[in-house]
Amino acid sequence: MIRFENVGMRYGPGPEVLRDVTFTLEAGSYTFLTGPSGAGKTTLLKLMYLGEPPSRGLITLFEHDLATARRQQFPELRRRIGVVFQDFRLLNHLSAFDNVALPLRLAGRSPSGYQQDVEELLSWVGLGDRLDSRPATLSGGEQQRVAIARAVVARPDLLLADEPTGNVDPDMGQRLIRLFEELNKLGTTVLIATHDRGLISTPQAREMRLVDGRLVELRATRP
Amino acid sequence: MSERKAGPIMPRDRGAAPLDIVIGVMAFLAALALGASLLANRASDSWKLGLANRVTVQIMAPEKPDSVVSGEIDAALRVLRDTPGIAHAALISEKDTLALVKPWLGSDPVIAQLPLPRLIDAEIVPGAPVDVAALRARLKTASPDSILDDHSRWIGRLRAFARGISFAAYGILALIAIATAATVAFATRAGLDAHHEIVELLHQMGATSTFIARAFEWHYFMATMFAATVGAVFAAVLFILAGGLEFAGFEPTPFLPPLALKAAEICWFAGVPLVASLIALGTARVSVLAALRRIY
Repeated sequence: MIRFENVGMRYGPGPEVLRDVTFTLEAGSYTFLTGPSGAGKTTLLKLMYLGEPPSRGLITLFEHDLATARRQQFPELRRRIGVVFQDFRLLNHLSAFDNVALPLRLAGRSPSGYQQDVEELLSWVGLGDRLDSRPATLSGGEQQRVAIARAVVARPDLLLADEPTGNVDPDMGQRLIRLFEELNKLGTTVLIATHDRGLISTPQAREMRLVDGRLVELRATRP
Repeated sequence: MSERKAGPIMPRDRGAAPLDIVIGVMAFLAALALGASLLANRASDSWKLGLANRVTVQIMAPEKPDSVVSGEIDAALRVLRDTPGIAHAALISEKDTLALVKPWLGSDPVIAQLPLPRLIDAEIVPGAPVDVAALRARLKTASPDSILDDHSRWIGRLRAFARGISFAAYGILALIAIATAATVAFATRAGLDAHHEIVELLHQMGATSTFIARAFEWHYFMATMFAATVGAVFAAVLFILAGGLEFAGFEPTPFLPPLALKAAEICWFAGVPLVASLIALGTARVSVLAALRRIY
């Protein structure tokens, strides 16, 4: 599914924020990416969702070597990835419903075709009565749930979530983790970046740990 | 369950009112310049048509007795009426001749004592080829004191003047069109800069460049269409009001054509918002595609 080989990343002339990162994520795997703040988790996710090219090293995504893949293929690859951004990145002029529906619109589906799916999903994350609310009128936790619903609604092949439970209470946090587990059971490869190792309760989960830009651990949490 | 309509990908710009106003004003000016060039063309045509179909014969013999002058007038009228291509010829009465010089000399009774020429006005059948030189020679034979004026000098000057006005109007129209295009392009780019986060997010979510460009170009096409239509409609109303003034008895300036544009001419104004919108559409497309090429 994803393969990183000796990947390094630096922004401009600054220091390397990722160094010699090498790992493979198998299709259907469920992984937590942990590490303290500033360890490089968000940057690693950014490379995985094609947000930036690496400074060095090789990345293979869905069997495509990104160094040699044609740029025209990127939109299709990106549509196979659901991303929960740490800062949510919701479109403020759209309702919660329309924000969640965005990936389905990009996939060419019509409102009548996705309306029920979107409404059910928003109800599942506890926002069934906020379908028409704009992000500005939602709390941080509610915005985060809209962002999560948007990332999973199209049942992506790969789900990348950056601190997805940072703004919700523990009960809702566990509910969202269950949503990711359900998606994983349906075949989606899941990677959750978090600094909270207490979230790792999933039996089949693996943990990748980043410290100072280096991958220092890669193991099954419950071997 | 009621069916939902998908919200617009692009937000309605709350801060764009000043830019809309600028586009509206530029469209208004462009439509005014367009109207002025249409009027200049019409003036040029009417001047040419009004004079090109007429000739005037002057008979000036103050030292000769009236009976001789009358004979020359009759002879000149006969020559004119016998000339193929001349629709009709008529002597202008002394009263009408005095009225003609009144704007320059006034209406003092002493003016009537002045030796004024007798004038014959002749109208040429439109398009008929009249050999002016031969006519002049025949008139000279029949009426030695006659002078034929085919207005060619006057028409030549008027033509040059009308051509100048037309070129000036087209030049102004071209300048305003360039300024409008630049304004629309600037407004579109400013809007894109304000919405770069949307562009980046859509790009990140796997939207194709075409999808993003379409959302933006459609947005700016419609916004510009609205603003420019308002400007063009204001200009059209102005021309219609100017026409209304004339109908209400307001004296138009001599020599200038009526200010009112015909309905068919006002239809040209529809081109202003259309062209402005197409410029906005093209600029949005080029700008979005260029912005997308810069991101990974």
